[in-house]
Amino acid sequence: MTPQLRAELLKLRSTRTNLGLFSAMLGLVLLVVLLHGFAVPAERLSNRVTQLNLVFGWAALLASLFAALLGALSITGEFRHGTIRPTFLVTPRRGRVVLAKVWASMLMGSIFGLIVATVALGVGSAVLATRGVAIRLEGGDAALLLAGCAMAGALWAAIGVGLGAVVRNQVPIVAGICAWLLFVEQLLLGDILGGVGGYMPGALAKAASGLGGDPVIAPGLAVLLLALYAVAAAAAGWVATTRRDVV
Amino acid sequence: MSATRAESTATEPPLPDPVVSARSLTKRYGEFAVVEDVTFSLDRGTVTGFLGPNGAGKSTTLRLLLGLAEPTAGEARVFGRRYRELDEPARRVGAVLESNDFDPGRSGRNHLRALALAAEIPPARVEEVLELVGLAEVAHRLAGTYSLGMRQRLGLAGALLGAPELLVLDEPANGLDPAGVHWLRGFLRRLADEGGTVLIASHVLAEVAQTVDQVLIINRGRLVATVRLDELAGRGRTLEETYLELTGRTTL
Repeated sequence: MTPQLRAELLKLRSTRTNLGLFSAMLGLVLLVVLLHGFAVPAERLSNRVTQLNLVFGWAALLASLFAALLGALSITGEFRHGTIRPTFLVTPRRGRVVLAKVWASMLMGSIFGLIVATVALGVGSAVLATRGVAIRLEGGDAALLLAGCAMAGALWAAIGVGLGAVVRNQVPIVAGICAWLLFVEQLLLGDILGGVGGYMPGALAKAASGLGGDPVIAPGLAVLLLALYAVAAAAAGWVATTRRDVV
Repeated sequence: MSATRAESTATEPPLPDPVVSARSLTKRYGEFAVVEDVTFSLDRGTVTGFLGPNGAGKSTTLRLLLGLAEPTAGEARVFGRRYRELDEPARRVGAVLESNDFDPGRSGRNHLRALALAAEIPPARVEEVLELVGLAEVAHRLAGTYSLGMRQRLGLAGALLGAPELLVLDEPANGLDPAGVHWLRGFLRRLADEGGTVLIASHVLAEVAQTVDQVLIINRGRLVATVRLDELAGRGRTLEETYLELTGRTTL
């Protein structure tokens, strides 16, 4: 473990920002799983695919969203509060700082993903059981959802760090990530782009968790493609951070 | 005789690099030069004031020295190397550029611990610098609750973590109470007497006049004078007169 990674892990733990993100994520997953679990008519929840997509699968979207915010805040927060100056004075080889932020955020993002998937599975199953709806998940479904959410959390955290390093400003990056995952990709691109929409990073997070999609992308391939987005974003962040002045 | 001399020349160690050197340092944003052709060097054991009106280019020069900004032309070196190429920068250079570079939601102690981890400085040193700047009692509190003077002290504590030989401070006395200013002066003097080097940017002349050995005066991006304070006193001039004359602000 590099000294910079130790420092970044302490930074992530030593403010309430990430506790706040974590609480918001838990609150939202409870809300959407309970709402859908109780409100969707029982006949629409009769098979595995609809149960995954309408009840349990929300974990993938929320893992991606909150991990991306966590990653983005880890770097934009430093620019906002000016801590980037002491950070770069101590570690003037800035690439090391970006890399440490990527790894630290990926670790935290994967934990976020694991927890949100666990909660979705637990609460979703309890709700369906309460309503007397038979749970149709198959053997590997729960494991795939857990693993997929962990991967989506890790990779979206890296995307967040990379984009945050490019944009530097907190408000547009937070608004941009929320808008992209909750509106742009979900509502617009799916209709306009058709099949290509499945290759957008938010859709890949769902595919990685075994939620199908259009076209259906195998979870392994989805992780690989999402990793390409993460590498591209992190590389852009690395270049922007090493080349641009800090005022 | 001549052989002896030749021998002594051969074994003479090379001149040590100046602690800080700027050579034709220039920073332009588009057509506008914030810093233009600034050349100076600082020797070990000196306290140097870096004076100039607001917007004269002081802070930009410090950022160029410390590798936060890249010069458009010329170069800046510390201990003979570009700052970004220093091996353990925190153990050689300590700097405070702004008085408020903290996450308000992180405790003073954790702020320092994160810096210490990145610099591979043991946690015991964090407690030492907290004692040194008088923040040990409040180190558990969130930095957002600190007064301006406490923030200055926390910034200084961060700069001192690695017990550096060079200290670069931008407006360090801003917000310190008189006791704090007095303490800071004594501290900087001791550091220089022990062979350390200090560069203080300021626009408050009185604060600098009592602390420094020499001043660099910068105006509109250009270095207009390097003045030793003892020489100035010998000529019966005050720093204020010299400064106002050189920066063209006599007819305000």
